[in-house]
Amino acid sequence: MSAIRFRVLPRPHEQAQRDIRQRQWNKALFVTLFLLPGMALLFLFVLMPIAQSVYYSLFNWNGFGPPTKFIAFDNYERLLNDKIFQGALWHSFILMALSLVVQLPMALGLALLVGRGSLRGKKFFRTMLFVPYVFSEVITAIIWRYVLSPNDGALLNAVLGAIIPNFQPIGWLADRNIVMFVLFAVLTWKYFGFYMILYMAGLQAIPADLEDAARVDGSTEAQVLRFITLPMLGSTIRLTVMLSVLGSFQQFVLAWVLTNEGGPVNSSQLMATYLYKFGITNLKLGYGSAVAVVFFSITFIFSLGYQRMVMSRDFGPRRS
Amino acid sequence: MLAQQQKPAATALKYGILIALCLVIMGPVATAILGSIRTNGEFMTRPFGLPTQGIQWENYTSILLARPFWNSMLNSVLLTGSITVLNVLLSSMLAFVFSRIEFRGRSLLFNILMIGMLFPLVVAILPIFIQVRQLGLVNSMFGVILPFVAFGLPGSVVILRNFFITVPVELEDAAYIDGCTTFGFFRHILMPMSRPSLLAVATLQVIAGWNEYFLPLLVFTDPQLWPLPLGLMQFQGQYGTDYARIMAYVTLLMIPAVLFYLFAEKYIVTGLTGGELKG
Amino acid sequence: MFKSSRLVMIVALVALLSLSIGAAVAQDKVEIDWWHIATQEDQAAYWQSLADAYMEANPNVAVNITILENAAFKQRLTTVMQAGDPPDLFQSWGGAVLWEYAANGLVRNIAPELEGDWRDSFAAQAALNLFGQEDETYGVPVSWGAVGMFYNKALFEQAGVEIPTTWAEFLTAVQTFKDAGITPIALGEGEKWPGHFWWVYLATQLGGEEAFLKAYSREGAFTDEPFVQAGEYLKELVDMEPFQEGFLGTTHPESEGVFGNGEAAMMLMGQWAPAAQAQYSEDGEGIGDDLGWFPFPAVEGGKGNPDDVFGGGDGFAVGANAPDEAVDFLKFLTNEESQRGSAFFLVPVVKNTADVFADDPVMQSILAARDAAPYFQMYYDQFLPPAVGSAVNDAVETIFAGVATPEEAAQAIEDSAAAELAQ
Repeated sequence: MSAIRFRVLPRPHEQAQRDIRQRQWNKALFVTLFLLPGMALLFLFVLMPIAQSVYYSLFNWNGFGPPTKFIAFDNYERLLNDKIFQGALWHSFILMALSLVVQLPMALGLALLVGRGSLRGKKFFRTMLFVPYVFSEVITAIIWRYVLSPNDGALLNAVLGAIIPNFQPIGWLADRNIVMFVLFAVLTWKYFGFYMILYMAGLQAIPADLEDAARVDGSTEAQVLRFITLPMLGSTIRLTVMLSVLGSFQQFVLAWVLTNEGGPVNSSQLMATYLYKFGITNLKLGYGSAVAVVFFSITFIFSLGYQRMVMSRDFGPRRS
Repeated sequence: MLAQQQKPAATALKYGILIALCLVIMGPVATAILGSIRTNGEFMTRPFGLPTQGIQWENYTSILLARPFWNSMLNSVLLTGSITVLNVLLSSMLAFVFSRIEFRGRSLLFNILMIGMLFPLVVAILPIFIQVRQLGLVNSMFGVILPFVAFGLPGSVVILRNFFITVPVELEDAAYIDGCTTFGFFRHILMPMSRPSLLAVATLQVIAGWNEYFLPLLVFTDPQLWPLPLGLMQFQGQYGTDYARIMAYVTLLMIPAVLFYLFAEKYIVTGLTGGELKG
Repeated sequence: MFKSSRLVMIVALVALLSLSIGAAVAQDKVEIDWWHIATQEDQAAYWQSLADAYMEANPNVAVNITILENAAFKQRLTTVMQAGDPPDLFQSWGGAVLWEYAANGLVRNIAPELEGDWRDSFAAQAALNLFGQEDETYGVPVSWGAVGMFYNKALFEQAGVEIPTTWAEFLTAVQTFKDAGITPIALGEGEKWPGHFWWVYLATQLGGEEAFLKAYSREGAFTDEPFVQAGEYLKELVDMEPFQEGFLGTTHPESEGVFGNGEAAMMLMGQWAPAAQAQYSEDGEGIGDDLGWFPFPAVEGGKGNPDDVFGGGDGFAVGANAPDEAVDFLKFLTNEESQRGSAFFLVPVVKNTADVFADDPVMQSILAARDAAPYFQMYYDQFLPPAVGSAVNDAVETIFAGVATPEEAAQAIEDSAAAELAQ
């Protein structure tokens, strides 16, 4: 650079500018090439279908031929007044709340138990606890239907029958008052391992000396957990909360197969099962699209708010 | 070290909890396995119990000796393999650009990408199907692979980007001084460094792809193309009478998933941690 | 270097993509895509054998069969229909669903081909009518049966119960079984449609053809007296707790198993039940000679004819773009010989086939009831548009679960009917 000052000829300067331009052009080309395939897929199969749903939701449309009966916001009006939809929304919120207060703490506790420390056999337990996560939702639902069968020889009733005297077998999936909790239990069985793994990953990033130092200073285990471990797990916890909330809202296949389409009497109807049953199988595609849009809006507003307010330090665009 | 100075009672409690949980986890699995080696009658009268009439290997041989199962197995392997490779390839490219190159509109594009995380596939299944059809991909493996990858990308990008961000900028600068191109840095330095994260992403995709049911159901009208989860549903229709055989099929589906998991387990944890960079 | 290999991959991907787009069928044979739901091995083999026989006689035709399990079939058919791409021949139950396809030009009018001998060959003309409307026909039935009460003779004898002919007698019988510690009725309400049989039969007995057609044409409503009454009668039954434990979550196959294992005295079901009871029972045989059948008990004071029958059947519809050969093949499927051969899982619909059940008293009584019925009430959940049909099923389920009054259930059905049937 310093040499340029003494040169009278403008050439090198131009050269440098051309270099910069060239490099910028290279960069633009590189960015484009790297983004294009992924973003194109996303556009074709995620964004366009969403946009189409918004459009369809303004029609009374059974899905045959192009939509023609424009009804503006009637679908939305019907939707918001529908008791079953309100129920589905409520059930999804119950699942979400239960996940946050039961599933996540449980996963965290187990991660603390087997994720590190000196417990013998922790690797074995760790493996075992994650196993259900690898099973498909269809398999999980089929197996659990037999575990929960009202038959007194089915696993759950048999175990309870052995423990409790005079126990009468229960139709676990047939009782409207408990079916949501049964569904939640099965979901927990399947998914808590995933969160446990995420917490374990987070725990491994915490330097052990920090906690040891605190212990040497006389902190109790509870204090170490409260003031060192948990705060340092912050970003992982924030991530799992978001995944758990989105996951609860997106439950579909397992609930659909396990509870026979959200039964009995819609008492385990969730957002996605509602959409499928009342939109797609009933041939009310316009209405179903309106459900999808509401569904999407809820998750969108939640994640936007959550990312802005809670997770900005973890995921905001930044350069290291 | 210090953790070892715990009271025996606390340790016993910990083992108690863990063993109880393992039993809860294994109970349903055992229901399937025990069901699969008993006769249908035994399974129907007592869904959970030990075989009383000898082990019914026939439940397995009748599946394993028939072609549809292996055909579905091959389809599942092909689908899962393609989904995984494509997802890892595309998501690492996206994550690289989103984590280490600054350009105008980056955060906007990134946020658009994140929309994909908010939407389960089933919600937009009809527009997706119409799209697949317009592209002429009905009864083509790509009709399943491409939408599935599209919906899987955002999650993978989040994991990979989290890792890529932690790579010190000095390393990148040093590479460029050594005459490395941006692509060279991506390919020869970042990718090898990120092996654990890439493997973690791949593992999660394998699990997801192996279990996908919905897209194949809609896209493949030809049963020759069906992967295992659909094969199971078909099998259930065909042998609806024979629950024991269905349990055998279920068990056969669980085995590869568990084997794969045992093999890939270590990558999941280290990969999500940010692996080798840890101090 | 590596860059270029990645590029090759992307190029290959694009090439593969365009290949699969361009991979149009370029064969000289006429192809017929046929979707059916006979997943049982012997049934599927039977359809395949007919396809093979047809292809042998017509070497220029290739019949491609897709076998789908019932639920998967409905899922997929709906999607391909909405995408405007119907298969050439597909399982159909007739009624509003089929008419909706017709209104959108998704099925082919085969009335011209049907006219004459083919049409005349059908014994069950009422069934045929459900596959068309006005002058058009979009498919034909291959099986046509009736819903009625299957019962276990041994359990009836054990409890000393006679076959009930009236609703009052029926309720007494239920109580007798309960007192004897026998589950009176097997029901798979987890799937909802089995329960709707009960309510519709009651409504048919109480209101007859007139009440239904009025409600359907919107002259009347589903809140009219017979429909509310049907709920009240049903509630009376439900309050006696006559069903097996956990019936609200029991699937249809599971309930067939309960009956087939001899664990319940009665089951209100269609003509396929004997086969299903055997298949889903522990020993694979069902209750054998203990199986009997009687018509739905007459409701005293009802406006319907006690001989009115409720039921439906199966058939195949023809897709809009189907070649002529598909129609010809369908004709072949419903000729006398094909129909006779199918009697092991279907109830033939063409003339001169009644003797196939010579050795089967249960099927004989079902056929007799079907053919003698002054009015044949089609399944509501097939005859009505899907949204109304599922509203019926959902509303009836609320009565079974005891969470809604008969009035509320009738109102829920009416709400949906008002929205869907107005056009």
